Amino acid sequence: MKVTNEKTENSQTYLMIEMDEAEVEESTEKAYRKLVQRVNVPGFRKGKAPREVLERHVGKETLLNDMLDELVPQAYEKALEEQEIEAIARPQIEIVQTDPVIFKAVVPLRPVVTLGDYHSIRLEQELVEVTEEMVDAVIEQLRHQHATWEPVERPLALGDLATLDVESTAEGEPFINQKGAQYQLMAESITPAPGFAEQLVGMNKNEEKEFEIQLPDDYTREEFAGKKASFKVTIIEIKQEYLPEVTDDFAAQVESETKTVEALRERIEADLRTRTEARSKQDFEERVIEAVTDISEVKYPPVMVEVEIHELLDDQARRLQMQGLTMEQYLRAMNKTDEEMHEEMRPIAEKRVTRGLVLGKVAEEEKIEVSDDDIDAEIAVMVESAAEDRRQEFKEILDTPQTRDSLRQTLLTRNTVQRLAEIAKGLKEIDTSLKEEEK
Amino acid sequence: MHLYEVLRRPLITEKNAALQMEGKYAFEVAGEATKPQVKQAVELAFKVKVIGVNVMTVPGKERRIGRRNVRKPSWKKAIVTLQPGDRIEFFENV
Repeated sequence: MKVTNEKTENSQTYLMIEMDEAEVEESTEKAYRKLVQRVNVPGFRKGKAPREVLERHVGKETLLNDMLDELVPQAYEKALEEQEIEAIARPQIEIVQTDPVIFKAVVPLRPVVTLGDYHSIRLEQELVEVTEEMVDAVIEQLRHQHATWEPVERPLALGDLATLDVESTAEGEPFINQKGAQYQLMAESITPAPGFAEQLVGMNKNEEKEFEIQLPDDYTREEFAGKKASFKVTIIEIKQEYLPEVTDDFAAQVESETKTVEALRERIEADLRTRTEARSKQDFEERVIEAVTDISEVKYPPVMVEVEIHELLDDQARRLQMQGLTMEQYLRAMNKTDEEMHEEMRPIAEKRVTRGLVLGKVAEEEKIEVSDDDIDAEIAVMVESAAEDRRQEFKEILDTPQTRDSLRQTLLTRNTVQRLAEIAKGLKEIDTSLKEEEK
Repeated sequence: MHLYEVLRRPLITEKNAALQMEGKYAFEVAGEATKPQVKQAVELAFKVKVIGVNVMTVPGKERRIGRRNVRKPSWKKAIVTLQPGDRIEFFENV
């Protein structure tokens, strides 16, 4: 066996492997002995046909392929050992010729991550401010949610809720035909068509009106885009929105635990604060990871991206399945081919691979580890959220080697991100300096 | 009868494969073929030297087709011994 290391680039090594005749012969013999046990040759009992007869019966190609299947993986393993190459995934193998056997192998290598000086990253987490206005806005929203609608005898105005019959055609085709439809007049509304609401303003109860609207070219229903629609609308009822006053009663109605307006406001403020804080934290962590990735250099073999793409696609297929769709149906609905979908995933996959590698490296540098106790604790937390009587069952589901493994991964990532966040805030440095002082 | 009509097909079976070790090759031959004819035909077709021919008639077997018993036709088998060192490669096993 002769192994030539042609070149190394993109974190993959190109090997050219040439086999000796004796090695080929040995593999052929092995392949023959395996094959002959399976193949029925007329005139011979199973396993008794001589090699020439078998070769002629199944064709030279079959035996050759079997031989290569036998030979190549072995030779590849040996070549790796000889060259002291550590592969992280299956190689791409291309048979160049068979007499003598020469094949090329593209070996994906362990990715190389060179972290930048991530300790110098300094980012500020955006300060969370919950203002009175924000609380007011929520209360306003709540008022709308709890509003009552009362019939009124006056012309329609924006903001009113109308019950109406509508008949319409677009260039001869039936467009929208509904009786007793509920329609709230909003100034910017584009349903059923832009300008529809404005046309209704000022109409009285039982009034009938006919008008035309030019549908936009990018109308959501493609078959009607750019067409002229004629509407005939009859108003049946007009209702006005009555917003409830902000009183203690209102507060109690919104949330049974808040008896006063004051309590409601506090509650809303607290909710807003946790939500925005969570968002800001996530946003911050996102930026920190981004920053670390930016200053780091990552080299990885392309297979990793391919693998990631497949994982992403699998994930998506699983999600679709939950909605009762198959991937094929989805692709048809989105008007995309398999390959397009594949390519679309590529940038996302690349990003995920880089991030994963960078975070992994940081975890290594920072010596972040997840112990079994940590996992136990995490499982306990998750079990807490389950109903009382199902906890035992839930715990059993979670406490399997696979979930423990994936939990370990999740925790590791989480802890690493947390550490990075601390570093970026400058907290970590203070910690270590404190420790040094103690010494 | 012409020499080309003598040899019908080579018989490639486990038993005959074992015989080939001793330089013996088996053929199905025409029923009316004689030993000398077989010898000539093999020498001509495979460019080898034949030092012995054994022939035998293989009786046809009774087969049941539906309710009737049918006898398959008998045929003649020839085993030729080649001069030591000569070989026949069957390229087509028709």
